[in-house]
Amino acid sequence: MNNECFIFNERLDTHLRNRPSELEEAKRNGVKIVGFFPGNYVPEELIYASGAVPLCLIHGGNPKPAETALSSVPRVICPFARALIGEMMLKENPFYSAVDMVVAPITCQHLRKTAEIWEYRGEPEVFKLGIPHQVYDGLEVNDFAERLDALKDKLQALTGNKVTDAKLTDAVKLYNRMRQLLRKISLMRTSNTSVISSMDFIKLNHVSFYADPVFMTEVLEEIYGELAESNTASDNDAPRLLLAGPNIAMGDYRVPELVEAAGGNIVIEEICEGVRYYWNEIEAGDDLMKSLAKGYLTDRVPCAFMSSSAGKRLEFMTKLISDFHVSGVIWYELLDCEVYDSEAYFFTQKLSEQNIPMLILEADYGTADIGQFKTRIEAFIEMVKEEVE
Amino acid sequence: MKELLKLCGFTDKEPETELARIEKVFKRLGITDEDIETGKQRLHKYYDIDLQGLRKVFRLIIKELVNAILAKEDGREKLIYGFMCPGIDLLGSAFMTKSDKVFSIHHSWAFHIVIGCIFGKIVPVLEDAEKTWLKAGAVAHCANVKTIAGPLSMGLFPNPDMLVTSAYTCETSSKTLDILHELYDIPVWYIDHFKDRAITEYPGPSDRVAKLTAESIKRFVEKVQSITGFEIEDDLLIQVKETKRKLEKAITEMRKIVINSDPLLISSSHENIWGCLLSLTSTIDGIEEATDAINMLCNELKEKAARGEGDVEKGAPRVLAICPAGQTDPRLEYLLCEVGIAVVGIDFTMGEKSKKHSDDPYLEMALGSQQVSLELPPYGRIPLIINACKKLKVNGVLDRYHVGCRAVVADALLIEEAVKKELGIPVMVMEWENFDPRSYNHQQFKNRLEIFREMMIENTGNKS
Ligand code: SF4
Ligand code: SF4
Repeated sequence: MNNECFIFNERLDTHLRNRPSELEEAKRNGVKIVGFFPGNYVPEELIYASGAVPLCLIHGGNPKPAETALSSVPRVICPFARALIGEMMLKENPFYSAVDMVVAPITCQHLRKTAEIWEYRGEPEVFKLGIPHQVYDGLEVNDFAERLDALKDKLQALTGNKVTDAKLTDAVKLYNRMRQLLRKISLMRTSNTSVISSMDFIKLNHVSFYADPVFMTEVLEEIYGELAESNTASDNDAPRLLLAGPNIAMGDYRVPELVEAAGGNIVIEEICEGVRYYWNEIEAGDDLMKSLAKGYLTDRVPCAFMSSSAGKRLEFMTKLISDFHVSGVIWYELLDCEVYDSEAYFFTQKLSEQNIPMLILEADYGTADIGQFKTRIEAFIEMVKEEVE
Repeated sequence: MKELLKLCGFTDKEPETELARIEKVFKRLGITDEDIETGKQRLHKYYDIDLQGLRKVFRLIIKELVNAILAKEDGREKLIYGFMCPGIDLLGSAFMTKSDKVFSIHHSWAFHIVIGCIFGKIVPVLEDAEKTWLKAGAVAHCANVKTIAGPLSMGLFPNPDMLVTSAYTCETSSKTLDILHELYDIPVWYIDHFKDRAITEYPGPSDRVAKLTAESIKRFVEKVQSITGFEIEDDLLIQVKETKRKLEKAITEMRKIVINSDPLLISSSHENIWGCLLSLTSTIDGIEEATDAINMLCNELKEKAARGEGDVEKGAPRVLAICPAGQTDPRLEYLLCEVGIAVVGIDFTMGEKSKKHSDDPYLEMALGSQQVSLELPPYGRIPLIINACKKLKVNGVLDRYHVGCRAVVADALLIEEAVKKELGIPVMVMEWENFDPRSYNHQQFKNRLEIFREMMIENTGNKS
């Protein structure tokens, strides 16, 4: 990972560099590594409470794994899903190679098929976690809680550890704290004096998916403190933008980079995969599995694969636009992601009614689109600037 | 027009009012005199239209389309459209049997056959959908969803009081309906379950998943009851199911006759017609009529076999095709016959029926819906395909994948790998769009199919 211009403190940098060997060491000591697919539908708390190490598999952007997967699936499978398949085939990514089991939430078809292909190939073990695509009432929460119970059993069998209420409560607190800190850092960007860029914020999220959560939380505390102190330093008058879309993978930084280079300022992200859902915390009640089910399913804004989600996300995005004083939206979707592509039209229509222009960018992980993206992003930022003035 | 209708099983005894209704609908759909001529030619060219049973089937399909389009004018107060929604054919038939104030149609199967297959006019409908959010181009959106969005935005169908889909078959359909809801304010209902059967839960259906599906279907029925004010009793569902079972049995019987035939008695361009017939939401009387038509067809096919006739030359290589026949365009299936390839089966119709049964009609529906090829992961679907190949004694597999449907796309190369490895027979992988005639490339397909045929002949020769 390229950490140039990143606000990391040394400790985080070193931690990430040493993490694969740390994981190897842990494995030698009998600790299990449990990978999971992104989208914020897998409760990491549960994995953590079982004594396993949770890792969100969020690498992307590199064309090699996505191209490698073409011997297993046709090109119309989205590049991120293909990258997951390719990583497993290549066995070159130390994080992916470390996993003993993968939890695959059944979100979009692309990720479902990825999980099925891994299962078909027989390695690693896959636990498919059904996600109700439509939530009408408490029934779906109960059904999801039952599935989480099954996951708990699976994790207990894998690790040999019992997931006690006490352990789970501690894990919930830990991850709540992480979300809280990310939220606080993110909210600093509502003001025009923030010193954290979108690139940095996204990378911070990415690291949080691989780092030890206790360590990560400590570092986030530190970063938050530092940012709070320096929060008066800059006065950025670049157009304030919202970055929306399905997926920003670790390594897929072309769009935020081009936006920054073109003089745009992304101040908030509405991304399903690759940015932690930090807006709410898990409210731990008497029945912890139900609390998790509720927190991950209903107390949040749904991703686009969910059935009736477009209206809810528009409402949320409208609030973000207002709270973060946004003047334009960059909609970055991966090629062949049908659900986000379908929604792009709806969002363009509705946002134009609020005089918020939206630029739709659609890309594979190749380099072919860069020139065209650059021109389009520059023109869009110019247009937003003129409208703001 | 009369001639066309005669080809489609309408007789002189048909009431004038019925003919007037058809004319009205065709006019609304933009069917011109020229289209009628085209329709007649296509019926003669692509279908075994001399078979009286087939004509009767076409009659039922046209009637369903006409009834759907005129539903509001006919005084139907509540319209319920199902889209990619397993079980809606049965439920729809129950709603229609229960009340003549309700009209329920299983998405646009009849529309596909009439507008696409008979008249060859589906492309403008797809283009209309592409004007808005289902744009053509890089993201290969499934054209099936365009055939629900297009007719609604063009005002060809009356706006329904409820759209229902499953959120588990694919999220493309549920997302399309979500956007339709946002743009046109059409109420939408989603039937759901968890598509997360573990590898250990195969090959049979999972009780856990069936329970969730049944719960969800029941809630949909409760919703319908609340908007229509009538009750759907379990007994009625059982009665409809029993009547449908007779139709399914007749179709299975017919397929058996075809599978064992040489020369192939009837081309696979008819496969989507049978699929459509099974999906019609007719009343119990309508289902019985459909069963009679298929029984008649079975007898006609037996007679045809006795005469030694067929649609493909005798001894043609036998093939299992992956994915159903083109839903809106019979040309690929016709080309297969022309080239001399006999499609004797399709993976979608080859699934083992569930051995588990339940007296609860909802559970029964739910158990059945898990076992179809579209719903299976590779470790369920590939053994199904391998077994089907063995059972049908095929010489090759036409591994075509409907590019818009990620649920089937992702398996294509795995199927190829497994069939070649386990059976050593040629596999032709072909990308196409099951609902979009623009994906048909005659010359390219012809060249490839000819090579495929040669490969099968050579492979069979080498083995013998
Ligand atoms: S980018 Fe879209 S298609 Fe790909 S995994 Fe994410 S939601 Fe699915
Ligand atoms: S993507 Fe597949 S499952 Fe979905 S509507 Fe299209 S054909 Fe049906």
